[in-house]
Amino acid sequence: MLDLLPQFVFNGLLIGMSYALVAIGMTMIFGIMNIANFAHGEFYMLGGCITYFIAAKLNAPYLVAVPVSVAAVTVLGFLLERTVFRQLRLKSAMSSVLATIGLGLILQNGALIFFGPQPQAIPTSFSAFPLQLGPIFTTQARLFAVAVTAATLVSMYVFLNHTLYGTAMRATFQQTEAAALVAIPIDRMRGLTFALGAGLAALGGALLGAIFFVQPAMGATESLKAFIVVILGGLGSIPGSIVGGIFLGVAESLGTLVSSAYKDAIGFVLVIIVMLYRPDGLFKKS
Amino acid sequence: MAFLRSPDPRTGLYLRWPLLAGVLIALPFIGLTGYELHLLIISAIFVILSSSLSLIMGYGGLLSLAHAAFFGIGAYTSALLFMNFRLSMWVGLPAAGIVSAIAAICVGSLFLKVRGHRFVITSLAFVEIMRLIAVNAVDLTRGQMGLPGIAAPILTIPGIGTIDFASKTAFYFLAVGGAAICVWTVARIVHSPIGWGLLALRENENLGESVGVSAFRHAMIAFVVGAFFAGIAGSLYAHYTGFVSPDLFFFSYTVTMLVMVVIGGKATILGPIVGAIAFTFLPEYLRVVAQYRLVLVGVVLLATVLAFPNGLVELWSRWLRPALLHLRTLRSRDNAA
Repeated sequence: MLDLLPQFVFNGLLIGMSYALVAIGMTMIFGIMNIANFAHGEFYMLGGCITYFIAAKLNAPYLVAVPVSVAAVTVLGFLLERTVFRQLRLKSAMSSVLATIGLGLILQNGALIFFGPQPQAIPTSFSAFPLQLGPIFTTQARLFAVAVTAATLVSMYVFLNHTLYGTAMRATFQQTEAAALVAIPIDRMRGLTFALGAGLAALGGALLGAIFFVQPAMGATESLKAFIVVILGGLGSIPGSIVGGIFLGVAESLGTLVSSAYKDAIGFVLVIIVMLYRPDGLFKKS
Repeated sequence: MAFLRSPDPRTGLYLRWPLLAGVLIALPFIGLTGYELHLLIISAIFVILSSSLSLIMGYGGLLSLAHAAFFGIGAYTSALLFMNFRLSMWVGLPAAGIVSAIAAICVGSLFLKVRGHRFVITSLAFVEIMRLIAVNAVDLTRGQMGLPGIAAPILTIPGIGTIDFASKTAFYFLAVGGAAICVWTVARIVHSPIGWGLLALRENENLGESVGVSAFRHAMIAFVVGAFFAGIAGSLYAHYTGFVSPDLFFFSYTVTMLVMVVIGGKATILGPIVGAIAFTFLPEYLRVVAQYRLVLVGVVLLATVLAFPNGLVELWSRWLRPALLHLRTLRSRDNAA
């Protein structure tokens, strides 16, 4: 059993990084607009499905399909912020949750009409043969996903901390009125944040879709997981959602060692405990 | 029909209820097809669910995504009592309500301490945990295979005969009776000091607390009464369809109930009833465009929240009815002139 441990941790890391990609966007949208976006997992789904469409139906190489689909979902996110989410900002938590549930229904079932219900594999040029790295067996596609996600997370960090736009975004995030007072264009920041969040989720879908399958129903589960991560990391905390994502991925993966049937319950139980007793998240120093 | 618009409001009130009861009693005998009767029974079950959810989310302002959990708990309670102990619905129905209410007291004592997004997400986590238990506790629930063969009850009245509720007509009266009791109870609570306390909790919790309205106690009453009726609806559903499975805990059931309440009108008595009936019948007749059905539901939900946050009932009471009254005044003025 113990010699399998590194393998399980690696698998958990892979899943956890994709959770983090979706959760960062969700936490940013919550922080900046105070909206719990139940439709956020649908961006992940669209990223996967559009990549599949471009790679399988239009016969483009996978490495072209990924950026194109991420760009498409980023634009969609931007447009949705302009049309729908901007109107929800001043509404109650109940209205905004209901509206995003409605939006999720539209996106998920729209994708169902367009892509069909069958799970599909995204064709890639990666070799299907397993690679051995010390005690861990993996594939090229998995290594690629881990590398791209890690690079994205690092560049997100640099963007948010060391660029003008990133700093402005964080300022809007922390204290909107004060940010407006120092002439940060709040509305533009909201649009950018939303677009960026949607794009990150789409990247997660495009990368994991090449390892597992893509199907229109996968977004709903991903929304739930992202909620768990966002809550574990503390609502509105970006580093928290990265750590929370990896933590949940590894916890679930190790949970399979104990009981594979209840591995999905781990996250939900953690959520209830955190929500009730550690409202600022698992990792926040009190 | 002039007598229905009696100038004396009291007469109008007295006539309205016997008339409604008459229509409801006559409905199964006017030559409806079995399919239409089936839709009426399902509507009645959803009236119970949406009215009880409206008590929690419309009046109490607590967006609970856990209502499907209590529906499922009720259905499983009734089904398990029948499968394991051959107890009929006459035991299963109250048991389902009570077990759901007890479950609501347990989770409510934890969850009702938080508000807003935190309450929404904890309630969602609860229903997911219940679903995972229904799927994985195979020894008890048979997992995904579900529990089939739950029989409808039989009522034997000495000296008169027996009524077999396996017939749709008989079950119709059971379901409509249940719905009527639920709507009546919710209406009574809403128009009582408890209901006013709930409104205070929804509108301004701190202000309410400052004049002695215990937010926790009122939220708990709404949550437990709502869960009790959701359990009753679950039991009716189990004995009507004869089959329960973990699908009852699916998010789609929660969404259906939410849509019914929101589109009908959250903090109204009539709204959830209209919503439940409309959203049982409409999707069936929209089967022609089956593919686009859920997209349409999404569009309607989004549009209602953005344009008519208080639902269709408001559309009537705030826009259509004043417009009609205005027209009538104009016409009578023309006639007079």
